[in-house]
Parts: sequence; structure tokens; C-alpha cells
Amino acid sequence: MLLLISNMSDKTDVLQGTLDLMVLKTLDTMGAQHGYGIAQRLQQVSHDVLRLNQGTLYPALLRLEQRGWIASRWGTSDNNRRARFYALTRAGRKQLQREADDWRRMAAVMARLLEGEGTP
Amino acid sequence: MTIREMWRRALGALGLGPSERDLDGELAFHRDMLEADARRRGLDPESARREARLALGGGAQIVEAWRDQRSLPFFDTLRQDVTYGIRMLRRTPGFTAAALLTLTLGIGANTAIFSVLDAVLLRPLPYPEPHRLVTVGDRGPDGFPGNVGFATIADFRDRSRSFDQLALMRGWGPTLFANGEAEALEAVRVSWNYFRMMGARPALGRDFTADDDRPDHWRVLLLSDGLWRRRFGADPSIVGRVITMNDREYRVIGVMPPSFEPLDAMHYFDARAELWAPLGYARDGDSSCYGCRHLRGFGRLKAGVTIDQAAAELNTIREQLRREHPTDLDTGSVAVVPLRQALTGQVQRPIYVLMGAVAFVLLIACANVGNLLVARSVTRRSELALRAALGAGRRRIVRQLLTESALLSLGGALFGVLVALAAVRGLAALAPVALPRLEHVAVDARVLLFTVAIAVVTGCAFGLLPAWRGASADARQSLAVDGRGTVGGFSRARAMLVVVDLALAMVLLAGAGLMLRTVGAVASADPGFRAERILSAQFSLVGQAYAEDGAVRAFQDRLLEKLRAMPGVESAALADQIPFGGNYDCRGFHAQGRIKPNPEEDPCIERYGVTPGYRRLMNIPLLAGRDLLDSDTAAAQPVILVSQAAAREVFGADNPIGAQVRIGGADRGPWRTVVGVVGDVHHADVTVPVTPAMYVPEEQFTDSFLVALVKSGTTDASSLAAPLAAAIREIDPKVPVTSVAALPDLVVDAASSQLFVARLLGAFAAIAVMLAAIGLYGVVSYGVAQRTREVGVRVALGARPRDVLRLVLSSGAALVAAGVAAGVAAAIASTQFLGSLVFGVSPTDPATFAGSAVVLTLVGLLAHWVPVRRALRIDPATALRAE
Repeated sequence: MLLLISNMSDKTDVLQGTLDLMVLKTLDTMGAQHGYGIAQRLQQVSHDVLRLNQGTLYPALLRLEQRGWIASRWGTSDNNRRARFYALTRAGRKQLQREADDWRRMAAVMARLLEGEGTP
Repeated sequence: MTIREMWRRALGALGLGPSERDLDGELAFHRDMLEADARRRGLDPESARREARLALGGGAQIVEAWRDQRSLPFFDTLRQDVTYGIRMLRRTPGFTAAALLTLTLGIGANTAIFSVLDAVLLRPLPYPEPHRLVTVGDRGPDGFPGNVGFATIADFRDRSRSFDQLALMRGWGPTLFANGEAEALEAVRVSWNYFRMMGARPALGRDFTADDDRPDHWRVLLLSDGLWRRRFGADPSIVGRVITMNDREYRVIGVMPPSFEPLDAMHYFDARAELWAPLGYARDGDSSCYGCRHLRGFGRLKAGVTIDQAAAELNTIREQLRREHPTDLDTGSVAVVPLRQALTGQVQRPIYVLMGAVAFVLLIACANVGNLLVARSVTRRSELALRAALGAGRRRIVRQLLTESALLSLGGALFGVLVALAAVRGLAALAPVALPRLEHVAVDARVLLFTVAIAVVTGCAFGLLPAWRGASADARQSLAVDGRGTVGGFSRARAMLVVVDLALAMVLLAGAGLMLRTVGAVASADPGFRAERILSAQFSLVGQAYAEDGAVRAFQDRLLEKLRAMPGVESAALADQIPFGGNYDCRGFHAQGRIKPNPEEDPCIERYGVTPGYRRLMNIPLLAGRDLLDSDTAAAQPVILVSQAAAREVFGADNPIGAQVRIGGADRGPWRTVVGVVGDVHHADVTVPVTPAMYVPEEQFTDSFLVALVKSGTTDASSLAAPLAAAIREIDPKVPVTSVAALPDLVVDAASSQLFVARLLGAFAAIAVMLAAIGLYGVVSYGVAQRTREVGVRVALGARPRDVLRLVLSSGAALVAAGVAAGVAAAIASTQFLGSLVFGVSPTDPATFAGSAVVLTLVGLLAHWVPVRRALRIDPATALRAE
């Protein structure tokens, strides 16, 4: 059972992790937000560098919710429509902290590595 | 994946996750927002909609990915397979019902018998470290420990280093008199360390101590929880109270917990002890000698000591004792046997035989359902080929087919458990009297686990082959021929399975036949006396009032007088033991001039104390000399009758009449004159050879534990039961009457193991034959259906009904012949496991085997009935047009 699942998600793991971190950070910055809002924010921050297939957000949101990092609730959007709002949980905030630290460490390593490559 | 995520996904797989409608709502909202955005940027509605759809991505893929995330893929497939499987099974209700019924019978029978096996043979005894508990005693003819003398165990206790405790037990029958009615209590007397050895402690009060276990001190009591509640209203102040039994005072010192299961409740004494008192023997007491074998010995081995080590040590000690006391011990040996084995040794074989029988029934059920599945997979080939053509992998198809098998076997298990629940109650009613721990037989978690296990194994056994074959069906070929035409492989597999069915049924039939013959042989065996019309009642004359033999004899005289005057009574007699009555008294038989140097080596002969009318009432023939007479009183010269076997064993070819003998000790008691020789009787079991017996007049060997016997003038003796008990009570209401039983019933009860096995084997054989017949019917009728065209052609070319009949029968007859032949071979190999259960007939009795073969053949032919009629009705025109 476990084998089947890890087989299935082997290739996308890195991307998934990145997307998870981005979603968590977005919710941390903006507070409770619906899927559309999260997508807009990601597009905006990445200055359209990131090509995000916006639909893939939803399986990710479900996964984060299953892990207990975010919680969801139906509410009303700015234009008075029913929309599902996602918010960070306490466990999610901790997870964000952990993942952000990991990411920064990794980024620093990459930066050093790439800089070193340039000098003779 | 976190555990939390896995849990939520498992819930999702069960349909308890977020709903897809929610996702649809979210996606619609998202799309609308994107569309509105684009419109604000000035796009026309059509372009805006396209851009929104592009940005969001493929709807179907998102939903698919979301679904995968919601549940566990394995569960999802399983659910699909199960849903699909149930749909397929419902589409063929006839097949499903047949398979379920077959499996229900197979699994139900196995569950029921396993529940007995588990409770009686597998479950550890309810004592701490039960594997260290053993029985110890002088080795009996069956290899098990028999009774033992006090001195033997006392010396073992002093010299052996293998045991933590060695304990002793003897039967005891005190009478509690209360509310005007005497109640004979089931009780035992035990050495003071008995409860310590068993690992039990009183719930109230204290345990026995060594100080209680002395000749002048032993009148203290431990009560069972049941007795305490029943007779003393669970009064907690019972400890210290003095109660009177048999005119003597006893002090209650404690109450055992309800969880304590008395050893004798397991029929060690055919009784359920409610009361314990210390043994109270002294080393130099009258009943303490090595040869005074009336005690049961038990022991708890020291941790790490094996049975063999303990037995070797005790036998060494016994040899030492025999050298030290050459005239007190015989040259026997000591047997040490695990307690569990001693308790269940008698019933092991019947239970294993029945377990084997139900395993056969399950095998037949598997073969049958496998057969049905193969037949079904032929008709499903198009469907499977289509699925394969559409891209389903071989593994996927095997999995689907196995899921269907699993559904069938789990369904069979479910119904089987229901059948077993009902059957267990029936088994308890049918079970032999001596089946220990019967009250623990239940369908519980362990039994259910077993059921699930056999259901899984069964599912694989009958499902794997058809599934594999089904999956490997060649897609193109199958689609092309549209499932018609014969496929040799399938037919061969089915024929094989039917032969296996028939062979297994043949084995069970032969076994059941042998057991039926055994029951017949036991019923018609001559026990040496005529039990018909005789009723017996056990009672005991104990207490101060009967301390003198004279008082006992006076009671006996008055009772006999009353009984003989009772209407409907033809004759009456008293005895202290009767054949099949459960109590025996084997005594040393010492004939003057023939006493061995060590008198302990003289034969031990069953002693019956009887009143003069006994021999005639029991119809035991007088072979030589004279019968016991009323003139053989206590004051007259002591006399004795010997049985033919006793005469032969002790006196050989010499005339025993006039010989002088002592019983129970070569140097004690009066010399008795042998005055007659009578026929042999079986003491407890007609299936073992007769052993010697002797008869002494009750007047000259007075006993307090008695059996009153009356022979009815009419065929029905049971109407005398109440007057018989009343007659005893009329003389003295304090005398307890324990069991009133018709003698023929006692004789039948002795064969209850055989009867039990015979009945159940008969039932299992009937099921097996029925299943085999169904399997055969399935194959033959399928064959007829396949050959409709051929038959049509033959009829068109002038074949007569007789030819059609021959055509149909020839294939089926070959199967029956092969099944019967294989079955006879298998039966010859397996009926020997019935072993000692079979009596009066050889385990390979040709007549029984032939009879079973005939029955099976007839049933096999019967299974052809419908297919033959169908074949005879084939109309050539229709058959040919159908192609």
C-alpha cells in the first residue's frame, strides 16, 4: 500500500514540496483565503515566472488539509459568492517554519556552490 | 505520508472524505473569477472562457488527481472489485446460491468441530503454568497413571527433586441434611498442598495447612463458590462456622473463587466437586500402604524439569522402595503424564477423527465451488477477453476473479458461523458423557479467527486455478468463437475435481459405515448379563446411625422386603458395585497354596458385594457349584463366587470349588470358600476383553455405598424410578439417593464416544455425498448441453434412446468408477485412523466398503437422471437449427 503511493508520487515530490511551502506562506501572509486568491497571489509574487496550472492547487490543498496543516470552511467572497476559505492551523505554522528554514539552508548551499563555480 | 494523512485517506476510501460536489463548487468559483478577470481586461466572453479554462488546467485530470489524493488507491481498486464482484454474483443467482450453500456447509462444519477441538484439546487448562501439571500413579494397562497408594506418593515426596508439589486426592460422599432433604454432595478429600499445586487460593478464608492434614484434625472444609451461594446464601460470615454432615461436625475455613475449576469437574471422578476436606492420612494408617491404590496422584513439576526426567527419577525411587519393602510393592512402574493428556486422552481420537472428516467435507466443498467457477469462467470468457482487450492486465483480472472467490468464501464463512452457533448447541447434547470441558465449547474470537483463516485459504484454493485460467484466456480466440464450442482443458479440470469429490465422499461413507457397524456391534455385544427391565438407584448409608455393620444390614433387609413387595417388581437385589455403574473395587486375590512370594504380585480381581438374589436378577449364568444363599449370613462360613475368567487365571485347569481364598491381603481377613463359578461380565466397556470378577455376600462384606436393583415385571422399568427412591427415603429420609438409572442406558452410555462419532460421521458423509452428487450433476448436465448438437445429429441419423442413454452415461459412469476406485484406495489408507473407535468390524471390512461403493454409485447414477432426460428430449431439428 505504502509502496504503491510512494511509487506514484516519486517524481513530483520536489515540486509538491515547493508548492506546499508556497501555499503555506501565502496563507501565513494573507490570512484565510480561497483557492482563487491563493493562485492570484502566487502569480503576482512570481511575476508570471512561475507557470502554475492553477487546478493542481486543489489536490495540494486537500493534502495539506489531510496532514492537518490547514483547515477549510465555506464562506462568502468579496463579490458575495460562496467560496471555500483555507487558513493555516497551528501545526501548519510550525510546518511553515520548518520548511522555510530547510529551504533557506538549501538556498544558501546552492548559492555558495554556484558562486564558487564562477571563481577560478 | 503522515499517519494522520493515511487515516484521513483511508476514511476517504470508505466514502467518509470530502465530497466531490465541494470540489466542483470550488472549481466553478475559480473558473468564474478567472473569466471575470479576463473580461475586465477587455476580452470577449468566448475568449475569456477559453483563457480561464487554460489557466485552470484539464478538469478531468484535476478531479482524478484530487480523487487519488482523497483516498488510498489500493482501497479504491478493492472497492471497485468488490462492487463489480457483487454485481456479477447477483447476475447469476443460481450459481451464487449453490456456491454459498456449499461453502456454508463446509465452513460451518469445520467451525463447529474446531470449537470443540479448541476448547477440549488446544486451550491451556485454567491454572497458572498448566504445562507443569501432571498426573502421577502406578502405570495402568492403558499406559496412563492409575490409582496409587498413600505411602508411594509420601516416599516420592521425600526423595524426589523433580516436583514443586506432589498432591493426592480421593473421592468422598458426605451428605448435607437440610430442609428435610438429604443432599449427597460431590466432594473430594485432598492433601493439604493440593490448591498450592494447582496455583489457586481461597477467595475467602484460608487455604489448608499441613496441620489440617492429620488423622485427628482433618474435619475442616473449603467450599466452592457455587455451594456457598446455593446452600449458604453467599454469607460472608461462613468462615469459622461449624456444619454437620453425617452426624459429624466440620468447620468451614474458606470459600474458593468462582473461577476455580475443580479438576474433578473435568470428569476425573465423573463428578463436580463442591467441597474439599484434607485427606487426613497418617503414614501408618490402615489405608496408607503402597498397595492401597485408591488415591489419585497429581504433581507440579519444577520449572525446567521434563516429564521424562520426572518419570525416570520416580521409577528409580520406586525400584529403591521395592528393594527396601520386597513384599509391599509389585514389579510395576510409575507413569507420569501431562494433566491435559490425562484429562483428554480418551476423547482425543474421536475429536481428531471428526476434524479430519470435516476437513474432507471442506475439500469437497472447495472442489465443488472450484468446479462451478471453472464452468462459469467458460461462459464468462467473452467478458474477460473483452476486458483484456480493453487493456486490463492479467494481474488485474486475476485480482478481480479472486475478489469474487473471496466474496463467496467470506459469505460462506458468515453463514457458516451462524450454522456453527446452532450446531455447537446440538453437539453439546450429542457429545459423549466423558467429554471434558464441554461447557467451554463456544464460538469465540479464537474460533472466528480460525473460520476467517479457513475462509481465506478456501477462497484461494477454489479460486486460484479458475482465476488464472480465466485471465489467460486468449482474447482473440475467445471473442471470435463467442464462448461456444468445447474447451478440453476446462472439461478435464472439471472431471478431475468431480473424481476428487467422489473419492473423498467415498472415504467418509466408508468411515461412517464402519462406525455404524461398530455401534451395532456394541449394542448387540453380550455384556455378560441381561440389562433389560432393570433399574438401579445409588444410595449411601453413612454417619453415626450406620457406624455398625448390623445397622447397615438391618436397613438392607428392610429395603429388600419393601422392594419385593412393590407392585410391578419381579425381583430385587442389592449390590455395592454394578457393571457400568462407575465404581470399581479391584482387590488382591490370594488363594491358599497359590500365593506368590510377594503377595502383591497376586492378581487384582474386581469385587462385587451382592445380596443372594443378584445373580438371578442380572441373569449371570451359574457354571459350577452353587449360588449365594440367604443362609450365607455374617455368622456363617464366609463364601465367595468367582467368574470363569478368575477361575481360569488363578486356578488354571483345576477345579476352584472348595478353594480357600483371602481378599485384599494375604495375611489379613477370613479365609473364604469358593462355592461356585459364574459367567463373565464386562465391567465398564464391552469393547475391551472381559476381566476376572468375584462375588461376596453383602452379609459377609458389608459396604455403606450401595446400589438397589429392581427388575420390572413389565417391559417399562422407568415407572419404578419414583417408587424406588421413595422406598429408600421411607426407611430413612436422611439417606441420599444419588442417581437412578436404567441399566440398558448405562450400557449405552459406555459406548457414547462411538455413538457420537458414528452420528457425526454419518451426517458429514451425507453432506459429502450430496455435494459430490451436485458436482457430478453439474459436469454431466454441462456435458449434455455442450453436446446437444452431436446428440441431435445422432438422433437424426437414427440413434435410438438407448444409444443416447449410453452416450450420456458413458462419460459420467467413467467419473463415478474412477471416484469410487480412488475412494476405496483412500479409505483403506485412512480408516485405520479410526483405530480403537472401531469395534466388532475390521477397519477395512470388505462388506462395508462394498456397501459404501454401491451407495455412492447409486447416488452417482441418480445425478444423471435430469441430464439423461434432457438428452432424450433433444429434438434434432431444433438442435441443428440452433447452431
